[in-house]
Amino acid sequence: MKRPIPLTMTVSLLILIVSLLVAETLTVKVQSTSLRNTPKFYAPAVQSLSAGEKVEKISAQGGWIQVRTSGGVVGWVHSSAVEVPKFDLLASNKGLKTQASASEVALAGKGFNKQVEESYRAKHKDVSFAWVDRMLQIKIAAALVEEFMKKGKLGEFGGGQ
Amino acid sequence: MALVSAGFTAVLFLASCAAVQSGADILAGTGQISESDRQSIAKTSQAVSATFSQITEEQEYYIGRSVAALILAQYPAYDNAALNTYINTLGQAIVYSSDRPEIYAGYHFLVLDTEEVNALSAPGGFIFISKGLIRRCKNEEMLASILAHEVGHVCSKHGLQAIKKSRLVDAFRVIGTEAARRYGSEEVAQLTTAFEGALGDVFETLVVRGYDRKYEHEADDLAVKFDVAVGYAPKGLTDFLQTMIGDSTTASGKGWFKTHPSAEQRMDKVKSRIAALSSVPAEASVRTKRFEQSVTALK
Ligand SMILES: [Zn+2]
Repeated sequence: MKRPIPLTMTVSLLILIVSLLVAETLTVKVQSTSLRNTPKFYAPAVQSLSAGEKVEKISAQGGWIQVRTSGGVVGWVHSSAVEVPKFDLLASNKGLKTQASASEVALAGKGFNKQVEESYRAKHKDVSFAWVDRMLQIKIAAALVEEFMKKGKLGEFGGGQ
Repeated sequence: MALVSAGFTAVLFLASCAAVQSGADILAGTGQISESDRQSIAKTSQAVSATFSQITEEQEYYIGRSVAALILAQYPAYDNAALNTYINTLGQAIVYSSDRPEIYAGYHFLVLDTEEVNALSAPGGFIFISKGLIRRCKNEEMLASILAHEVGHVCSKHGLQAIKKSRLVDAFRVIGTEAARRYGSEEVAQLTTAFEGALGDVFETLVVRGYDRKYEHEADDLAVKFDVAVGYAPKGLTDFLQTMIGDSTTASGKGWFKTHPSAEQRMDKVKSRIAALSSVPAEASVRTKRFEQSVTALK
């Protein structure tokens, strides 16, 4: 008698095959970041990337990943800015499901979002967000941080390890 | 193809949770199981998906914005562009060498207009340091160590870990049932209640109760690690803790003294952590000089 292959096994196998094929696709998970021409935060930006954009991994080096955009542009992004597919070939079936359900991509814009903040603010009119927004406006250009490090003998310009 | 597959898996997972849960709801409705049993079944079926690590970067940012607003309702901002620029530039240098340099909307630092000695970090990279604390720093190494400790709390998501699991269970229930990005009024009301609860959990921990001691020692370890990585002498942290020992305001039981382990307890651990390093960067007079210039407004 022929025994049918259980559905869960089929699904797991499918995920396994697919994950092998797409293991090199990364998704930007921060609001915006830069594609840089060398693996350093103060390296010149090649172009900007925003949340949800997909890039192909080429190589990796000390926390940085060299990637290619859909437009064919090559540069470096920091690994903390992208979601690396978490499908682990050795992970249990349960693990696979858990990780898939936690995907930044799948949950983009869901849960505690702008709409929930608006609803919260409507209920708590006494809580001011003015300084929170001003804080977000404080942006230090990477070139200024580089100059600060250079003058202060920090990082590669001094005793950074 | 990958998305379809991942989506399919996610749907399967959520559907199985929902099935167990609605089953429990039905049983409770017929009186076959008690309400507490129903709740525990509901919790168990959602438990796998309800941990702080599943809060996305974007949700962390929205939690952080509101926690920051609550902190700023307690302590006024110190509106001094030059000082805030200095703090932010120094902060970014540390962030670049940290474990999680890129977060949803980046790290932002702000000085609080209070004499209380305090430093706080909301999830999502909103970091605050009081005038009172800066006044007690004698050089850039000390200030860098405090900021590195706070960046460490954000990197390790200590604030998010203060959120009670029940808030996440409630939030994930709505997230799991709604496909749309724009929620209906009932879903928004449910999410807002969970959101308010989560903010309360984080704020209470940051401002009143303090983190679990193990998180404070972890943040001190990270401060030493980031200091060394960027090139600051990690003795900035022990020097700061030393000034706190015997500081008359310590007895006030406010700010950092209320929410952090004693300076003596922290000192021992930090000293042994530093002693274990093979080499550490030295202080540089050029940094002390610019520190003194940058904080003149406070002196
Ligand atoms: Zn702390």
